Amino acid sequence: MSAELAAYRGELRAWLEAHREELAPRYALPGTLDDHVAQMQRVKAILFDAGWMQRGWPERVGGSGGPPMLRTELGANLAARDFVDSGLFSLIEVLAPTLIDFARPELAAEAVPKLLSGAELWCQGFSEPDSGSDLASLRCRAVPEGGNAATAARWIINGQKVWTSLAQFSQRCVLLTRTGPADSRHRGITAFFVDMDTPGITVRPIEMINGELEFAEVFFEDVAVPAERMLGELNGGWAVAMSILPYERSSCFWQRIAYLYRRLERLVEIAPQDDRAAEVVGNAYVQLHALRARSRATQHRLAATGAIGAETSIDKVLVAAGEQAVFDAVHRLLPGMVEIEDSAAGETWRGEYLYSRAATIYGGTAEVQRNIIARRLLDLGSDE
Amino acid sequence: MITANERAAMTESVGAAIADAVARSANVDATLAELGWRELLADDPDAAVEIVFTALGSANATASALDDVLAATLGFELGADLAILLPNFASWAPPGRIDGSHSHAHGIATCRAATAAEILVACDNESALNTSMVSVAAAEVTVVRGVDPDAGLHFVRCPIETKGGRPLDPAAWQSALALGRRAVAYQIAGACRTVLNLARTHALDRMQFGRPIARFQAVRHKLAEVLVAVESLDAALAAAGDTPSPETAALAKAIAGRTAYTTAKHCQQVLAGIGFTTEHQFHRYLKRILAFEGLFGSADAITHDIGHRLLAERRVPTLIEL
Ligand SMILES: Cc1cc2nc3c(=O)[nH]c(=O)nc-3n(C[C@H](O)[C@H](O)[C@H](O)COP(=O)(O)OP(=O)(O)OC[C@H]3O[C@@H](n4cnc5c(N)ncnc54)[C@H](O)[C@@H]3O)c2cc1C
Repeated sequence: MSAELAAYRGELRAWLEAHREELAPRYALPGTLDDHVAQMQRVKAILFDAGWMQRGWPERVGGSGGPPMLRTELGANLAARDFVDSGLFSLIEVLAPTLIDFARPELAAEAVPKLLSGAELWCQGFSEPDSGSDLASLRCRAVPEGGNAATAARWIINGQKVWTSLAQFSQRCVLLTRTGPADSRHRGITAFFVDMDTPGITVRPIEMINGELEFAEVFFEDVAVPAERMLGELNGGWAVAMSILPYERSSCFWQRIAYLYRRLERLVEIAPQDDRAAEVVGNAYVQLHALRARSRATQHRLAATGAIGAETSIDKVLVAAGEQAVFDAVHRLLPGMVEIEDSAAGETWRGEYLYSRAATIYGGTAEVQRNIIARRLLDLGSDE
Repeated sequence: MITANERAAMTESVGAAIADAVARSANVDATLAELGWRELLADDPDAAVEIVFTALGSANATASALDDVLAATLGFELGADLAILLPNFASWAPPGRIDGSHSHAHGIATCRAATAAEILVACDNESALNTSMVSVAAAEVTVVRGVDPDAGLHFVRCPIETKGGRPLDPAAWQSALALGRRAVAYQIAGACRTVLNLARTHALDRMQFGRPIARFQAVRHKLAEVLVAVESLDAALAAAGDTPSPETAALAKAIAGRTAYTTAKHCQQVLAGIGFTTEHQFHRYLKRILAFEGLFGSADAITHDIGHRLLAERRVPTLIEL
């Protein structure tokens, strides 16, 4: 496996370097979110045309096969060169595997290539105003048109999602809805793949702490979704939601790690060369190395066994801490850069510093991860 | 090279034998010799170091296996009569220094210094490295009491013969340092795992406010934090084995030090009063961690050194790949 990957990596890096000019962002730093999204879709289209985007994806969804780690390599190498925003790009890993595992085969075959080629963007509609960490309490309702779940041609959705990343840019949404009784928790949730231009959907972008409108509130008012857009079984949505973990916790993280090494490198390019800086930079680097070593082991375990589970909460804790350590180092070693510097460099560092604060929140908070580690990995029993 | 199955079987048998020797207060070096430690080290150094040092750490055993690790990587015949002078506490520079008229060494040695006939000293003579053999009789050897009198450490001071040394390839010294660091890191990893298990057991058994303290989220999160650290150390050690280099070994050693202090701090808090006594085993592990963390450079010193290197090169290498 490692030898095959090394060969692929060499080939990929040579190609990316040869096409550097074509792939590099066209906008001046820091660029707006619109710039970042447009850049990512442009890069995806170029890579799709050259056949790189298809590597590591199954042939039945238009891929060219091979181990999923090929995609991880691609994302990481793009991030390491700042060709794409790693957070935006790696959303592919959050959404496409779910479609492949849970959508009707024709739907997956039609939709996944659009995501890979940069023709579309998708979003993940899980969180709701009253359901963050406690996702199983979600209330956005789906009812079968006509009342019979077995025969209904369409489902009618009413409710609200919140903090849905890229909702206003997206053509489709992987949506979790309540289909069981109000108190049915994870047993009464169903997932749908919803077209965002369906009548009754309203998207209201929300300004984030860094000034970007990267996520949104999404309102559903009598939104009719064809029954064949159901992902997985009726009331089987929890399994769909959980299926996101393996690739989010492996491939996405490896891409994020590549980005963090690059950011630390940018910092050492301009940081003072004194003892204090050595300590701060050294600490962040040691942390990144522990994270990278852990993530590497996780990917190989996933490749070998086809499954990873609660133990990836450890990866999640490490990646969140690593990201914050890198940007804390930036904040500490470049006085004023985050706080008062109004140049392009200041805006870029500031935006990323502020974004890094979310690392312990999204994808399951740091506290929720520790709850999982305590219960599932340390077997400490219930906390009730 | 041993197979994965052999490795698993050995991990078990070596772990059990060392724990048993410690329980009987038997000589752990003798147990290691019976287990064929030196043969295993010659045959498969990576497996030998992982299996034996993890077991030593888990059982809080006192042994001199580190001498063999260094002797083997430096290309010397292994034997119980040959002790190695380790770099001074918190340092990783060769312990011997030859500059004109001043030729001397001072460093740390394991429990082997008490019984060996000769001490092998790596020396820096400004332009090159070499190794010298020093007779123990000619050296000033004192027992380190320190925080952990049972650790078997010794201070050694000795004069060095300016002639007669054997040239030492700097790369060989780097390899010896790297494997020595990994060995100490495995020992710390074994200790940390055991300390976490002690704290976990205590959390489940200890009742307060009518329930096991393991129900309290503050306690759970502390232990979770420890598991994160311990697991990341395992990963760093595996990476140092898969991608061996002075850098990956140094990082594993630094991560071992961080893990050791995270583990000690949180587990001691969970153990609270009982963990503050010598009636509970915790104190032995804490003291051994303190005594060994500085060998071949503490986490702090290594981190600082690496930080300086990154700043000087203005590059941040990823070191390990998928
Ligand atoms: C940048 C960003 C992007 C996001 N993108 C998306 C997206 O695309 N799609 C989507 O569906 N959601 C998205 N989210 C939402 C994210 O998943 C939630 O914010 C997250 O699940 C936490 O929920 P919450 O914010 O409601 O916090 P809450 O659950 O209300 O938690 C508040 C605090 O209480 C703590 N807490 C809660 N429960 C426990 C407990 N049992 N034990 C200990 N502490 C606890 C939490 O750790 C936290 O510190 C995004 C969030 C951010 C910040």
